[in-house]
Amino acid sequence: MTRFFARLLAAFAVLGAAPAMAQPVDTGHLVAELVARDQSIAPGATTYVALRQKIDKGWHTYWRNSGDSGEATRIAWTLPAGWTAGDIVWPAPTRQPTGPLMNYGYQGEVLLPVPVTAPADAKPGQSVTLKAAATFLVCEEICVPEDAVLTLSLPVVEGLAEPNPAWSGPIAKALSDAPTPAAFTSVFAKQGTTLALAITGQALKGADVSQAYFFPFDSTVIDHAKPQVIERGPDGLTLTLTPGYAFQEGDGPKAMAGVLSLGDKAYEISAATGAPPPGASGLGAPPSKAVGGGGGALGLPLAAAFAFLGGLILNLMPCVFPILAMKAASLAGHAHERRVAQGQGLAFLAGVLATFLALAVALIAVRAGGAAVGWGFQLQSPPVVAGLALLMLAVALNLSGVFEVGSSLQGVGTGLAGKRGMAGAFFTGALAVVVAAPCTAPFMAPALGWALTQSAPAAITVFLALGLGFAAPFALAAFVPGLLTRLPKPGPWMEGFKKLMAFPMYGAAAWLVWVLTIQAGNTALARIFAAAVVLALAAWLLGVAQHRRAQGGKPLALAGIGGALAVVAALAAVWPSYGEPQAASSAAAEGGKANVPYEAYSPEKLAAAQAAGKPVFVNFTAAWCVTCQVNEKVALTSQGVADAFKQTGAVYLKADWTLKDAVIEAELAKHGRAGVPLYLVYGAKGGEGVILPQILTEGLIVRALKDAQGR
Amino acid sequence: MSIHRPFALAAALTLIAAAPVLAAPAVGQLAPAFTAKDGEGKTRSLAEFKGKTVVLEWTNAGCPYVQKHYGAGNMQGLQKDAVKDGVVWLTLISSAPGKQGYVSPAQAKTWKATTGAGSTALLLDPGGQIGRAYEAKTTPHMYIVDKTGKLIYMGGVDDKPTADHASLKGAKNHVAAALGDVKAGRPVATAVSRPYGCTIKYAE
Repeated sequence: MTRFFARLLAAFAVLGAAPAMAQPVDTGHLVAELVARDQSIAPGATTYVALRQKIDKGWHTYWRNSGDSGEATRIAWTLPAGWTAGDIVWPAPTRQPTGPLMNYGYQGEVLLPVPVTAPADAKPGQSVTLKAAATFLVCEEICVPEDAVLTLSLPVVEGLAEPNPAWSGPIAKALSDAPTPAAFTSVFAKQGTTLALAITGQALKGADVSQAYFFPFDSTVIDHAKPQVIERGPDGLTLTLTPGYAFQEGDGPKAMAGVLSLGDKAYEISAATGAPPPGASGLGAPPSKAVGGGGGALGLPLAAAFAFLGGLILNLMPCVFPILAMKAASLAGHAHERRVAQGQGLAFLAGVLATFLALAVALIAVRAGGAAVGWGFQLQSPPVVAGLALLMLAVALNLSGVFEVGSSLQGVGTGLAGKRGMAGAFFTGALAVVVAAPCTAPFMAPALGWALTQSAPAAITVFLALGLGFAAPFALAAFVPGLLTRLPKPGPWMEGFKKLMAFPMYGAAAWLVWVLTIQAGNTALARIFAAAVVLALAAWLLGVAQHRRAQGGKPLALAGIGGALAVVAALAAVWPSYGEPQAASSAAAEGGKANVPYEAYSPEKLAAAQAAGKPVFVNFTAAWCVTCQVNEKVALTSQGVADAFKQTGAVYLKADWTLKDAVIEAELAKHGRAGVPLYLVYGAKGGEGVILPQILTEGLIVRALKDAQGR
Repeated sequence: MSIHRPFALAAALTLIAAAPVLAAPAVGQLAPAFTAKDGEGKTRSLAEFKGKTVVLEWTNAGCPYVQKHYGAGNMQGLQKDAVKDGVVWLTLISSAPGKQGYVSPAQAKTWKATTGAGSTALLLDPGGQIGRAYEAKTTPHMYIVDKTGKLIYMGGVDDKPTADHASLKGAKNHVAAALGDVKAGRPVATAVSRPYGCTIKYAE
C-alpha cells in the first residue's frame, strides 16, 4: 500500500515536472529517494538534500554506529564540478534489540539530510543533477544489503531560494531535532568491570532523565547490549556502562563521543577520561516511567483498585498485628452498643485516612525536594524509631492498666466514654498507619510504586484508596448487622483481654528497640532503656494521680511530675541524634547465624554473578520491615532453602534498606517499587529478574531457584 | 547496616580472584571451554586441541557478509592456509533451528563439499550456548585461541565492515595477520577489532 502510494507520488512528480525533483526507488525492503529542502539554489549557497528511507514495517536501517551488527547507510555522491556534499546529519537513533544483541538504527521513515554547496560560479538558469549512490543494510531478523542510485535535479537561481513545500518542513525538523554539541561537561572512568559516564550541564538540572541512553559513535567503546544504569545528580546524571572491546587493549580509549538521548531530546557529547564530578550522581535512579518498571504500566483506576486491595491485605501483615490487637480490644468493648461502635469505626477510618494523607504529602514534598526516599522512610531515622518505641511502650502500659487515656476504668463498656473514645479510635487509626507503613502488601507495592511517579493528586488518590482498604474491615464491622452481637457480652473478661492485648504492644516496642540497635549500634540501647524506665515511672505516677482523682483527691503535683518525666523520656529518646553503628554491630552476628551465606547487594556483584552464569536471589529488606523479618525467619533460613542454594549454586545478595541508601532506592524504583520487601530471582542465563510474591514459603523459593537455574 | 564486614570482604576478594575465569571472554585470558557435535555426529571439544592454535569462525550461509567472504573464496583460502600451517580451524553455526543459517546434522555432512571450506570441522551449536559463552555477535565473528588455551584475537575478519564484495581488495585481514604473528612467534599486533556482519540468529 505505502509503496503503491510512493510510486503514485513519483508518477505525479514526473508529470508535474516541478523543480527539485527526484524519483523514488523501491530497493526491496524500503523506498529510497532524494528530497530537497529548497526549490532551487543560489551560486555559492548551501542547501540540504536528504536521503529519505521509507522502510517496510518490521525492518530497520542503521545509524552511523550500527551497534553489535549491521552497517550504516552510506551515500557516494557524483556531483558537477565545483559542487560539494558534506556528511550525513544523523538523526538520533533508536535501539533495535535483536535476541541478546543491540543495534542502533531507524524504523518507519527516516530523513538523512546532507548539506550540498553550489560553487560561486554556478550559472543561474541552469539545472544541475545531483547523483547519489546510496547503499544500506536493511534488516528484520535477516539482513539484506540494498542499494539505489538516486538523482535530483536542482535549478540554480540567483537570490533567496523558495522552500520546497513538501520537504522544507520535515527536513528543517530533522535538522533541528538532530543532536548538536551541547555545553555539557562529560567525563568517563573505568571502575572495575563498569564504565561510569558522568554528564553535567545546565540543561540537565532537574531534567527528566528516566529515558537517558548513550549512543557511542565508536562501536568498540561500550558493550551495546548491556543495560545502561541511570543515576541522577543535582547537576546531571551518571550512566553506568559496560566497557567494550576497546578497553581490552592497554588503558583503553582516552576519549569517547556520542549522542546522549533523553527520549524527546538528544545532545552530542564528547567525554574525556577523568573523575566524575559529585554533582552527577547521588540522587538515585529516576522514577520509573511506562517502560521497565514492574508497576509502570498501571493506570490510575487500576492503581487505586490495587491500593484498596493492598490496604485490605495489609491488615493480615505481621507488622500491623499489635495495633489490631489494640483495636480488637476496643471493638470488643463496644460490640453491643451499635452507635458507639459505629462512631468509633468512623473515627478509626478518619484517623487512618488523615495519617495516610499526611504521610503522602510528606513523601511527595520530600521527593519533590530531590531526596530519594521511599515508603516507610520515616522508620529510616533513628530518633523516629526511638520515639515510636516509647509510644508503643506507653500504649502497652495503658493496656496493662498502669494509667488511663481518655476513658476511665469505669467508663469502658458503659457507653458514657463513647464521645471521648472517639479520639482514642482516631489515635488508634493514626498509630496503625505509622506502624503499618513500613510493611507493603501484595497489590499495594505496585500501586505505591506507580503513585510515586505520578502527579500529586493521582498519588494522593492512591494513598487514600490504600487507607480506605486498610480501615475498611474495622470500620465496616461496626455497620454489619449481627456481626458485633456475635461477640461475647462485655464483662470482666474484657479487662483480662485488654491486659492480654498489651503484650503484642510490648513486643512491638521491643522490636523497635532492636531496629534502633541496628541503625545506631549498641550504645543506643542504654539511652532507649533509660528513657523507657523513666517513661514507665511517669506512667505509673500518672496512674496513681488518676486513681487519687477518682477517689476525690487533687493530685496535681503527682500528675505534674509524671507529665514532666514523660517529656524528659521522650526528649532523651529523640535528642541528640544517634551515632553510626560500630563495625561489628549486633546485625553482623545476625548475618552469620543464617543458614545461607549472603553478600551485601551491589549492582556490580549482581553483574559479576550473572556473568559467571549463576542464578541470583536478591532480598531487598529492612530491619523495620516485619514482613521481611518474618520471611527471613520462616522461609529464607530453612534447611530446604539452604540446600536449594547449594544445589543450584545460586548467589544470595541482600540489599539492606534499614537506613537510607540511594543505590537500593534506585533498584526498587527500577522495579516499580517504593518499599520493601522485594524479592528478585535472576536466571543463570542472565536477563531481567523475576519478582517473587511478598510472602515467601520454602517451596516457593526452592521452585524459583530451580527455575532460575535453567533460565 | 547489617553487613558482615569480614565476610563481605572475603567474598569480594574471592570474586576478584575468580573474575578472569568468570567474566566475558577477553584477550589474554582463557577461552571458554566447550563441546559440540561436528558434521559426522562426533562430539568435539576445545580441550582436545590443546597445544595447537585454534581459529573459531562463526558463520551463517544466508548472511550477505558471510557470502562476501565465501563467494570470492576468501574465507576458504584463509582456512586452507591456516590448516596447512598446523592450525585447527573450527567453523561454528549458532543459528537456532528454523532460523537463517541453521544447518541440520544431515546438511552438516555435505557442508564442506557445498562451500568448499577448508575448516578442520564444522561444529553445530543450535542452542547457542557456545556462541553466548564467547559473546559472539555477528557472522562472521572470529576468535583465535593460542596453544595454551588463551584468547589471542577476537573480532572481525578484516577492517572493511561492509557486504560489498569489492571491499575484499585492499582490506587488512586481521585473522591472517594474527596467524602470521603467531607463526613468527610475535605477540599479536591487532588483538581486538570490531566484528561486523549479520546478527547471529540465536534461539529466543
